[in-house]
Formats: sequence, C-alpha cells, structure tokens
Amino acid sequence: MAQGEDNGGAAGSRRGFLTVGFGAVSVGLAGAALGPAAAMIAHPLGTATTSGADTFVPVGGRTSFSEDPVKVDIFADRVDAWNRVIQVKVGSAWVLAQGDELVAFSTVCPHLGCGIDYVADKKKFLCACHNSWFSIEGGVETGPSPRAMDTLETKVEENLVQIRYQKFKQGIEGKEPIA
Amino acid sequence: MSGGKLDALVDAVEDRLGLISSWEGFRDRLVHGGVRLRHVFPALITYLFVQQAVLGVVLATYYSPSATDAWASTAYIQDQVSMGWFVRGLHYHGTSVFIIVLGLWLGQMVLHRAYKAPREVTWWAAIGMLGIGLALGLTGNPLPWDQAGYWGILVELSITEQAPGGGMIRTLIQGGSDAGNLSILRLYALHVFVLPAVFGLLLWLVSRQRAQHGLPAPDGMSDAEAHKTTQRYFPAQAFLDVLAMAAVAGIIVALTMHDHGAELLGPADPTENFQARPEWYFLFLYKLRMFFEGPLEPVATMVIPGAAVTFLVVAPFVDKIGGKFGRALVLGGMAVLMTGTVGLTIYGVQSDAADEEFQKSLAATEKSATEARAYAKAGVVPLGGPAVFFNDPEYQTKMLYKEHCQGCHSLDGQGGDEGPSLEDYSSRAWVSDLVRNANDDRFFGHTKMKDEMDPYPEEDLPAEQFEPLIEYLMQLQGDPGVVIDEALAKKGAELWEDELECNSCHEVEAGEEADGPNLHGHGSQAWVARVIRDSSAGDLFGDYAAMPKFADKLSDEEIHALAAFVVKQRGLEPAELTDAAAAPEAEGDDAAGDDAAADDETPEAEAAPAEAEGEAAVPADGEAPAEGEPPVEGADAVAEGEAAAAEGEPAPEAADADAAGEPADAAPEPAAKPKPKRKPKPKPAKPKADRQNGRVVYGKKCKSCHGGTGKGDTKFGKKNNISPLSGGSRASIKKAIVNGVPGTKMKSYAKKLTAQEIDDVTAFVKSL
Repeated sequence: MAQGEDNGGAAGSRRGFLTVGFGAVSVGLAGAALGPAAAMIAHPLGTATTSGADTFVPVGGRTSFSEDPVKVDIFADRVDAWNRVIQVKVGSAWVLAQGDELVAFSTVCPHLGCGIDYVADKKKFLCACHNSWFSIEGGVETGPSPRAMDTLETKVEENLVQIRYQKFKQGIEGKEPIA
Repeated sequence: MSGGKLDALVDAVEDRLGLISSWEGFRDRLVHGGVRLRHVFPALITYLFVQQAVLGVVLATYYSPSATDAWASTAYIQDQVSMGWFVRGLHYHGTSVFIIVLGLWLGQMVLHRAYKAPREVTWWAAIGMLGIGLALGLTGNPLPWDQAGYWGILVELSITEQAPGGGMIRTLIQGGSDAGNLSILRLYALHVFVLPAVFGLLLWLVSRQRAQHGLPAPDGMSDAEAHKTTQRYFPAQAFLDVLAMAAVAGIIVALTMHDHGAELLGPADPTENFQARPEWYFLFLYKLRMFFEGPLEPVATMVIPGAAVTFLVVAPFVDKIGGKFGRALVLGGMAVLMTGTVGLTIYGVQSDAADEEFQKSLAATEKSATEARAYAKAGVVPLGGPAVFFNDPEYQTKMLYKEHCQGCHSLDGQGGDEGPSLEDYSSRAWVSDLVRNANDDRFFGHTKMKDEMDPYPEEDLPAEQFEPLIEYLMQLQGDPGVVIDEALAKKGAELWEDELECNSCHEVEAGEEADGPNLHGHGSQAWVARVIRDSSAGDLFGDYAAMPKFADKLSDEEIHALAAFVVKQRGLEPAELTDAAAAPEAEGDDAAGDDAAADDETPEAEAAPAEAEGEAAVPADGEAPAEGEPPVEGADAVAEGEAAAAEGEPAPEAADADAAGEPADAAPEPAAKPKPKRKPKPKPAKPKADRQNGRVVYGKKCKSCHGGTGKGDTKFGKKNNISPLSGGSRASIKKAIVNGVPGTKMKSYAKKLTAQEIDDVTAFVKSL
C-alpha cells in the first residue's frame, strides 16, 4: 500500500484514479442492488397482478329481465397477487331489455367511478356522487360524465343470460377497457 | 442558473445543514499507519447493512406477514415477481455473508489488538452486531412460513424455553401458546423495526469512535512511524473499501445465482415430519447440543454460549493481564472458539450429507416444495399456505371421495364398512382374501351379497388350485401394471373352465350377465368407473347392488378421477383422466399407450352407462342454469343433480335404469328393501318347462360341479363325492335346486334362478 500524503503530479493522477475508481465501484454496487429492486417495484407496470371475470359469467335466466333495469352482481374467481379467491363479487351491472335485445350497463360511472343507481319513478340512471344523470338508454343527460354509461358484452344461450364484465378507463370520452 | 447563484445556493444549504463539512470530516478521518486491507470491515458492515435494509424495504412491498399469506406471498416473490427471486436471494445470502464478515472482523480485531483502549467500544459494538446479525437471521428465516422456517422457529423457541423464565419468553415471542399470525407479526416487527434500529445504533457507535480516533495503527508500530505514515481516509482507503465491498457483493450475487434466489420449501405444515435443521450459522450450536443430552442440554444451549460471549466481552481487559499471559489467553480462547465453531459447522454439514434418512426426507421435502410452488402460481385460496394443495386435482378427488364414498367404504382406517374396503382394493392380496371369504366385513359382509358366495377355505380350495385361480383372476383385470405369471394364469383359466364352480356365478366374457358380477376387467379403472356410475348393471352387481348410482350426481371427469383414485390405492398407474372421461364412446382407442389399456378392454361395456347418463343429464343441466347457477364456479354436478331432483325432475335413477334396461323399480335406498328376486322378467301365466333352455342354464350353473352329463365326474364332483343326478323325481330335483341339499355343497338356487329357469333346469335334469 502506498503511504504518505498525496502531492504533486504522479500522486495527483493516482488520487484522481482512486477517486474515479471509488465513484465507479460505488455506483456499480448501488446499481447491483437498486437495479433489481427497481425491477421488482416496477413489476406491476408490465404484469397483471389481478385477474378474474374476463369471460362470460351467467347472471340469470332470460325471462327474469324486462324493460325495467335489474341490478345483477357478477361473481367470479379472482386472482389477487398470490391469492385466488373463489366466487367473489367482482362487479355489477344494470340489465334491461330494449325491444328484443338485452343490454347490460356497468354500474361504474364513466366520470370518476362511483356506483350508478336507477331511479325507478323517473326511469333514469343517476350517479349521485357528482349528479350525473343518464337516460334509460344509458346516454348522458346532465352532469359531468364524459360519455354514456358503459355497455358490457352480453349473450343469451339456452335462455341463460351471460355477461362479460370489464372495467373501463374513467374520465375520458372514449370507452377503453382497462387491460 | 448561473454559477454565482448556484454557489450562493450551495452556501445557503451548507450554512443550514453542514453537509459538505460533514463529508469533509468523513473524508479526512485519519488512517494511522497507512491504508490497510484490515480496515475494510466497518465499511463492509455498513455496506451490507444498508443493502439489507434497502432490499428488505423492497421485499416488504410484496411480503404479507400473516399465517395465511406469508408463504403464498413469498412464493409470489420467488416465482412470479420480476427479479423477485434475485432480490430475495440477495437479502437471504446477504445475511450469511454478514455473519461471516462480522466473525472475521472480530478475529481481525483480536489478531491486531484493535480492541485495546480507547477502541473497546468498537469491539463491543462488533460483538453486539454479531448478536444482532444472528437475531436477524433467527427472526427473518421463519418469515416465509415454509417448512424450514416454521419448524426452525419452533425448535429455537423450545430451546429458549429451557432457560430460566423461558416459558414466558416463548409465549411473548410466539404471541401465545401456539405459532400463528401473532408469531409471524412479532418476528416481523423484530426483524424489520427493532433489530435494525439497534444495529444502526451500534454502527453509529463505531462511526463515532472512528471520527474520534481514526483507524488504529498496527499493533507495536511506534507513534513516530505511525504519525509519519498516517493518511486521510479518502481516497486510498475508501477505494480499498469499495473494492472489498465489490468482492463481497460478487460472492452474494454468485450465491444468489447458484440457488436461483433462496430456498423456499412447501408451506408450514404442523402434521408433517419435517426434519428441522437450523441455518448453517446455527448449525454449530445444533451439533453442540448433540454432545449434551438430556438434563445437560442447557450446557450446550446456555452455558457454553454464555461463557463464550462473556469471554469475548472481557477480552480487551484479559489481554492486558500479566505481560504476555493475558494475550496468550485471549488468542488461545479465540482459537478454541473459532476452531470449535468452524469444526462443529463442518461436522454438521458432513453428518447431514452422510445421513441417508435425512437426505431422503430432504428430497421428499424438496419434491413437495416444487409441487406446492407450481400450484401456487394459480393463486392460493386465502386459508393459509397449505391451502395451495386445494389446487391439486388429486386433493379435489380426495374431497369428492370423502363426500361421496367414505360413508360406506373404508380407506386408511377411515370410513364405513357398508361396502367393500378400498384399502389396497383389488390387489392380489385383496382378491385372494376375498376368494377365501367374501363374507368378511372387509368385503361383502354388510352388503346384500353376504352369504351369496361361499367361503373357500384351504381345505376346499387347496393352494395348487387357489394360486392359479388368483393368477387367472388377476389376469382378468387386464391392467398392464399387474405382472402376470402367464403359465400359472393359463392353468387357472383351465381350472376355471373345467373344474371350479366359480363360473356358475361369474362370467368372464365382456358384457355377459350372470348371478355374480362379470369378472372381465374387474377392479380396473374402467370397471370401477362403471361401478360408480351404476353398480346395478346386469353384468355388475345386478339386483344385489346397494351403491347409489353416481352417473347423475358426478361428472364424467369426477367419476374417472375417483376411479383413478381407487386404482391408485394399490399403486397402479391410472389412465389419463381426459382419455376416458372426455368422450367415453370414442376416445378409448386413441388413448395414449398402455395407460389406457384398462379402458380399451371394455369399450362396449363403457358405452351403455354413458348413454344412460346422457339422457338423465340433459334435462338436469337445462334446468339448473335458469336458477342462476353460474357454471363457472366449477359447475358443481352434485348441486345440479340435487336441484334437478328437488324441482320434480323425473327421478334420475329411474331414467337411468330404463336406459340401461334395468328394472325400473330400483328404489333410491335399496338397502332398506328385502332382497329382490332375480330379474323379474315377465312370467307367463302358466309356466311351461323349456328343457332346451334348461340345458343352457345347466351349462352355466350346474355343469362345473355335476359335469356335462350329471354324473358328477368333475374334479370338484369327485372330491366332494357328488352323486349322479339321474333317477330323481321331478319334485326331488326341484326341491334340491330350490332349497339346496343340507350337508353338501349344493346350495339354494331360489334366489339365483327365476322360477321359470328352475322349472327348465328341472326338466333338463329329469331327462338325464
């Protein structure tokens, strides 16, 4: 090991080398731990950590729905990080008949995600959080909602109504599913 | 921002916080006697501590400290989170390296007398750090709540309990009388908050000493020389320090890569005989205990470690005693301590490596860990780690078995004896015992079959007949997993054909009906599946069947899984569930390899019950969904079946029975009914004996004992002294058939033949 205080040219460059070396190795060491740590923290950016209900889920017989909206809960197995939860409520929908067609509206308000209720005597939907009114067809009437109520895919097989539950981005005009 | 303004800002911050001067103070600490490798330890310790803390925080963003979630969340980190395995590995191996570095530092301080005044505080702090390091390991290892962690902490707490007041300490650490949520949270709180805080305090003490006195000059160097060679800490010593850190980091990364993170065994299971071993850094204590058994155990767990710690604490003072004597004492003591620890550790590792039983159990543990972690990827039902095995199809089958079968059949010492035992079901031993006495409680003793088949003790069926017979019976099972002595089985087949009376009640050609079950493919997976579907099929147990028909209650998959479960009980490899279950009518032939051979045997027999089931199942399925029963939740076939029945569907049993060509009056609880008559075929008002049919019936039921011409010239007949049949009156013949002949082997056929058949046979015998 070198001894004595560093002075002069040769010693100065040695000192410079040691300083740079110290800095470089320190950065390397920090990176070796912080790199993987950052990757771990960022894991949810690239990988879904929850899942469930992305297939059609039966909600009842065709005959149990009419022009008057009925609120149905959608049950599905849900994976939440390391847990698998069997048949829990993942969301709900307003289901009603429009002519021969069956329509399902997500109860999640497109504005900020509160729950939309049905006001039977006015035959309108209302999100009471911020006073968004929707027609029975789901269209925006008054209030801050940027778009109509979100419809969910439905199908009827052998008299059984099934809904594919999805969530959509809130606060924007377009209806974009959240992957 | 201009240079002037920046300087002003820097000055302002410096004025308020003094960051630069504090860095300069750190940078300019004195290294007496010059830069040396021996001085790297405090820096290494600091580096490791900071790294462990950072990684620990990152792990804490995924880890969930509860008995239900700890294992599952750790498995998630290890197997699913990006770089999770790496971070967990660094944190785990970091602890090991931490402890080694602390041990080496203590050794270095002794060797260079670095603990002498005024640096005793550094020495004591280092001893404390080693203690905290071990405690961090002790509290950290149980956190995944896997087998190693769980059993490890239990043993460690038991050791604690031996100390005075240990019971109370155990209850406090454990958070109660048993390990669970509170134990994990307490260990977690210690590991994450308390111990690191104490460690930080100790580290601060070391730093204060260093600021106050710099790094020590080598022992024995003159003050003048030390002064001459003294350097600033930065950059030379600092560079050496980071190089040492890089070397240590390299070791930790290498260990992490080698182990792909850190070991994670299966979830904590209090019922398993896990062979608990402590982490390697406690192995020496574990081995030390082996030398002090029974009441002496505290010597190893308390006295020796206590003495060692005391010795370390007073070492700086001992060192000063009586010239070289004290020095020698310290060096000697340290040597004993080091060699003892290292020696016991090596001994522990080697003896475990040589211990076959331990290695075997380790292999089993690792296998179950792999399995558990594979299942965990589907998510663990939040009932705690062991619930991961709910995902195992075999477990689900076992639950089905418990629900539907265990009430009547026994297995592993549990269950009813209404039906035959499934312990080792249809194995060679099982079949042998059944032939010897089918009326035993283990077989048909509590069924309608009781006393229908005579016992065949040694004197009736000597070994030279019995053994070929059993071999033939095993061959009839048709499972490729059963090794058959072909010659012996052939002999058995000949005996069956010509001498034994078995064939009077049992057919062996697929599909043919007789009094007893057709033995073609008996005990095979396909056969068991048929029995589960409907044991009352004509070629199975017919009217003697008491077992509920599960064709409507369980899905094809479930029935085949149960059948597979049953044949597995005797170690046979079941056919793939999908082969047979998915499409019983078509797939049998394509089924992969020999596994499916058992199924291939009876494709025709398979089809009938499947059709029957189809008819019953359609309306049931159509009805259930209207109830809003979501099929997604695993379409509980049982629930559907029940719902259908409750809604006044045509009774599934009846529908099924019709389709299978069985009497429609099969009651839901046949056990409660008197023994039904044999096949209530429509009887003509005035029976007229059909001698031709009598010949056929005779061939099936009588010939094996009485011979083709009624002379009783079969081996069995000769052995039992059967008298010729000719010469009797029609009434006496009929009486013998109906009642049997007391004192002979001739038993009653009243229940085995219809009245018409009895008349027919009587007519035929009369004609002999």
